[in-house]
Amino acid sequence: MRQLQWRVRWAALLLVSFCCRPSANAQQITVDSSVLQRLAALEQQVADHKPGESHFMVVGLTTFGFISSKTTVTPPGGSAQSTKTVSLGDNGRYEFSPMLLWRHGTKWLLEFEPSFTGGSSLSVNWADIHYFACPGLQIKAGYFVLPFGIYSRRLAAGWINKLAPDPQGIGLPGSDFGIGISGGLPLGDMKWSYDVSLTNGLQLMPDGELQGAGIVDNNNNKTVTGRLALLPFSNSSLEVGVSGLYGGVANAGSSFYNANATMYGADLNFVKSFNPILVNIKSQYSRVSVGSQQYIKPTDSSSFTFDNKQTSFFAQVSLRPTGLDNKVLKNFELAFRYVNYQTPEGSFWGSDYHEEDLGLEYWISWRTVLKFTYGWSRGTDKTNVSTGANGTLTDMNNLYLQFSIQL
Amino acid sequence: MRIYNIRTAAACVIGATAISVAVMLNGCAESQKVAAKSGAQLWAENCQRCHNTPSPSTFSHEQWVTIGMHMQTRAQLTEQEKEKIVAFLSQ
Repeated sequence: MRQLQWRVRWAALLLVSFCCRPSANAQQITVDSSVLQRLAALEQQVADHKPGESHFMVVGLTTFGFISSKTTVTPPGGSAQSTKTVSLGDNGRYEFSPMLLWRHGTKWLLEFEPSFTGGSSLSVNWADIHYFACPGLQIKAGYFVLPFGIYSRRLAAGWINKLAPDPQGIGLPGSDFGIGISGGLPLGDMKWSYDVSLTNGLQLMPDGELQGAGIVDNNNNKTVTGRLALLPFSNSSLEVGVSGLYGGVANAGSSFYNANATMYGADLNFVKSFNPILVNIKSQYSRVSVGSQQYIKPTDSSSFTFDNKQTSFFAQVSLRPTGLDNKVLKNFELAFRYVNYQTPEGSFWGSDYHEEDLGLEYWISWRTVLKFTYGWSRGTDKTNVSTGANGTLTDMNNLYLQFSIQL
Repeated sequence: MRIYNIRTAAACVIGATAISVAVMLNGCAESQKVAAKSGAQLWAENCQRCHNTPSPSTFSHEQWVTIGMHMQTRAQLTEQEKEKIVAFLSQ
């Protein structure tokens, strides 16, 4: 036992003499220790940044601007009267929409976009969940933009839209509660996509006007909406799509008999660079019709009828010299859009509306734009003769200055 | 009788749709020319269909994965396109 104690004492003495060796060795031990500490700290940082299966992020957009407007109203057989307004950032020119994206692994994605557009207007653009079942098949449920045309789903955001205003008549069918499937698939050199949904549907008002879906379903019928698109070229420069919608629209228990809405539409998207110019053409046509019904006049509650059909169309072309070497000039873009929106003649909102917009944008970055747009429009009143306004002309000249950024 | 017809029609439509989707999902394939495209090329061709091409430095890898899924639902990108574009943007 005593022999063992002596051995331990000798070992301790040797260890002390090893630690008390010349200073160069002592420095070496100190450096090794600091490296180990640094390594441990880095390992902790890596552990802190380990991505995990879930990921949450906030993106979104904001748009604000200025509009100077002159409106001239000419009643049939009367004299023209003009009014001028100048507005900053009210409804239609202001938007703040943060978008929350929450991913669970690579199979689930939740999207939520509330939107403030001025005044007391706080709404939700979409609140949905997607399940990525397999390549080419996503299943969705919740409140989402209906798959009809390309404008509302892809082009309406202020930092994407080439011109300050939205084209008239693209509000229908809007967003709705329901379920759907969608996907994009290769087809040799080509590509095709589908998007189909089953939702609560639109609402037919007593005067015959169709409105987007509300929070509460108005009947037991459901609406089918779908879009089928083909990209015939391998460089994806051209996309052509057809859309359709069909569903019951009358309130449950209303006097409307078998009231169904049918919509169909077509859209085109062409983007190709002809060096140094990037050419961008977009167009959409839609037609809405409701079966023959007896409606109620809002003025005296008597019944009346009209051919309840409306059409909307826009075609837009924009040119940007992206191939130029000049860093300022290559960020300018020139855009023009023609809009035609015809609502039912003989209804209480009937009109024949034409609009042209000419714009010049400056792209501060890929997602930040300053837009200058001048638009002129003419609306011819086609309302029911009992309104006394039939034939009235409304001419508008609008000057927009708008800033938009994706956040 | 009318309800029976509606149910029969609905069952036929759902069945036909399911079969069509299954056939199309299995039958669609990209050509060698398309399969050889790089992520950078697909990024240049597809993003500008709606908006300007984004800078890779805008988001982190994890963020690009999330945005890639969002854009797949928005623009109906194919699975191959999404994977290659996200890989390119994450570099």
